[in-house]
Amino acid sequence: MNYDYDKFGLSEDELFSQIDHSSLESEKITAPRYSYWHSVFRVFFKKKINIVILSLLGVILAFTYIYPMFVEYDRFSNLLNASAKHLGPLQAMKTMGYNIHWILGAGASGQSTFDAIWFGSRISVSLALICALINLTVGVIVGAVWGFSKKVDIIMMEVYNIIGNVPYILLISVLVLIFSPSFTTMVFALTITGWLSIAFFIRTQVVIIRDREYNLASKCLGTSIFRIAMKNILPFMTSVIVTLAATEIPSYISYEVFLAYIGMGLSDMSLGRLIYEAESAMMTPGWGFEFWSPVAVASIITVVLYVVGQNLGDASDPRTHM
Amino acid sequence: MTKYLIKRLLHGLVSVVIVVACVMVMIYSLMDRNLIFAQDSNYSHQSNNQKKAYMYAKWETYGYLDYVTYADYLLSLTQSGEIDEETRTKAVGFGRTKEDDSELVSEYVKKFTEYYKSKGYKIVRLDAVMMGTKKYANGGQQQLFAYKNVSLLKRMWNYFSNIITIDSINSVPDIEGDRGLTFTLYDPVYGGDKFSPAIIGNGTQHKYLLYFDNKFPYLHQNIISINLGKSYTVNEGIDVAITMSRAQGSYVKSMITYPSGLTEMSADDLHTATYMAGSLDTSMVHADRFVDHYTNVDTVKNGKSKVGYSFTIGVIAVILSYLIGVPLGILMARKKDKLIDQLGTVYIVFIIAVPSLAYIFLFKAIGGKLGLPTTFDMESTSKLMYILPIVSLALPSIANLMKWLRRYMIDQMNSDYVKFARSGGLTEGEIFTKHILKNAAIPIVQGIPANVLFALTGAIITERVYVVPGAGNLLTEAINKYDNGVIVGVTLFYALLSVVSIILGDILMSMVDPRISFSTKDR
Repeated sequence: MNYDYDKFGLSEDELFSQIDHSSLESEKITAPRYSYWHSVFRVFFKKKINIVILSLLGVILAFTYIYPMFVEYDRFSNLLNASAKHLGPLQAMKTMGYNIHWILGAGASGQSTFDAIWFGSRISVSLALICALINLTVGVIVGAVWGFSKKVDIIMMEVYNIIGNVPYILLISVLVLIFSPSFTTMVFALTITGWLSIAFFIRTQVVIIRDREYNLASKCLGTSIFRIAMKNILPFMTSVIVTLAATEIPSYISYEVFLAYIGMGLSDMSLGRLIYEAESAMMTPGWGFEFWSPVAVASIITVVLYVVGQNLGDASDPRTHM
Repeated sequence: MTKYLIKRLLHGLVSVVIVVACVMVMIYSLMDRNLIFAQDSNYSHQSNNQKKAYMYAKWETYGYLDYVTYADYLLSLTQSGEIDEETRTKAVGFGRTKEDDSELVSEYVKKFTEYYKSKGYKIVRLDAVMMGTKKYANGGQQQLFAYKNVSLLKRMWNYFSNIITIDSINSVPDIEGDRGLTFTLYDPVYGGDKFSPAIIGNGTQHKYLLYFDNKFPYLHQNIISINLGKSYTVNEGIDVAITMSRAQGSYVKSMITYPSGLTEMSADDLHTATYMAGSLDTSMVHADRFVDHYTNVDTVKNGKSKVGYSFTIGVIAVILSYLIGVPLGILMARKKDKLIDQLGTVYIVFIIAVPSLAYIFLFKAIGGKLGLPTTFDMESTSKLMYILPIVSLALPSIANLMKWLRRYMIDQMNSDYVKFARSGGLTEGEIFTKHILKNAAIPIVQGIPANVLFALTGAIITERVYVVPGAGNLLTEAINKYDNGVIVGVTLFYALLSVVSIILGDILMSMVDPRISFSTKDR
């Protein structure tokens, strides 16, 4: 019997076939062992591309956090050396010696672009990680309550409508003007209303899941709300939260770059500020390196973080574990 | 349906008012008011008492407080007829310190103090700063004034009650001639021969209340005007609404016949004439051209307004993104996991993950290599300069559309009605266009009004990178220059747009999807 199984969308494995009876085998419980996180990592590492991207992320994080510990960086150390400014990589290495500091050339005050980028990305990446951590924690908790309680929903919708309409740039710049454009101010400015959109997103997800039949059944059987939230709903949300983190972390780096560009960014040397200060160099022939290298590094960092997060999000969805 | 929408609109307007209140608290109360002097050269050139008085006068113009000097008070007394000019001249010169006041002066100073104290003002008297016995230190003259911080409620009331002004024949005090409206069939601006009806007022703020001209929408009115707030630094003394909508660029001159009969090449637009008290007598230029005090005219310019440029670029970008993004999104969903889907995903990841600043600069660099103009020039008639800003705006929104349309369509692909349609023998193409697309498009449709309306506000980075004279940078410029009036006005504009666009989106959605109805009661 040779049927064209593809026509029915079936493979041969799905069909019934005869198996010999074995009394020993029948004693075993055949349900596969299932551990959630184990399956997550199994699915995640099954894709070879993920290993490549993860190691890339490791390299980037090493450069961001470990490299600055071993390197002295003084922006103005070469300030008086007129021949050290605006150099391309080849010239810079010829002038300053062949080492890792000069592989991306020298900037406007003769500083090493390569060092500047990693010192800058340490600030930018830390900012993004801290902001994402705070916003996700607050957003998920508030969003869960918001989704569960109908009274809270009425109040929070009004709050959302109002705060959502206050221009974000205005809020950030007022905060920056009240305090100083320091790292803590920036974290405060990005988190004071940043959690709201995440909470709204989570709220919508909770509302969708809240009234599903299995939760209704759970409620009828007398499960407490807290247990329903922790055991029935939170596992469902893990992949959503991880995906959300994947989009949030790069978005803070982008946002920091944007704020620096419009002149409301950090006073510290962040990636955004590097791009902002090197903007004039973009159009000058031969100076392009000092503009494009921070742009490229910022893009690589955000893309890598995004892809890792997305794939981790896919892997943490239990439906992909089969 | 109508009742529901009106309720939604009112609800939205309440949140707009609260938003404006929040913004007012932020900029007037939370922000250090000394910051407005950071870039003020007048401020840094002054010293001692003069500097203090200057600060309070400036704070009044920026709307922080009410500020009355002793001299102003005496002047108002003279105007109301309480004291005569002679007494005023004697009373106005108060002493270097309180002890130096003459009897008359101390009487009026006491009156001034009591009058304003009873109204809740704080009285400040700064004694003269001397460099010797006779010589004042620089800016050390004595000062006497009263001030009172404007409360939030009063500020809100003043702001919202002045948003819409209706011109009437009693708008201007002390006019020459009879107040009234005249209706003419032959507009004097066109020489009085051409048939062009117009309503001309005397006593109104604007001279021409209703008139025709050759610009869209041909019939123009000046009766109702919208005031979003006066600008102090961005565009001094001009309302935000006008700053956004007034034409820019260089003058367009044409033959103009002035009311006096003088004919010359000029860019003046006589239809915009507004009343300026006493202007006819003080200026020879006006006396030659005009016959009444309606001398304050706007000029005709060749460029578009800030909103005009932003909207032109924004709307073309929105149309392009729907024309390109929707078919590509459908294609990605249909060829799921094939090459085209993967290419599309790479593009979407690129747009989402790479900082927007980075890819806009990338587009600029690529466009520059292709020979497209990378900066905007209002004087140029070339349409090529629009290309790069439009592309920079359209490409990200294409990615966004593709992402969501693909997501929604794939979610629909597994639903029961699709399986039913397939079992009914429909072809994949029919299922996609007739079933899946229609359902997947509903959430997409909801966003169309928001996209179109927010084209009015302009895009900050795109406009900055390509030097487009649009409205996008207005808010950032106002923040950098501490122009409180513009900040509040622009916020109100944004908030109104967002309220209206959400409601329009819901209406559009209910038109596309008959299952969605707003007439039923809230469940």
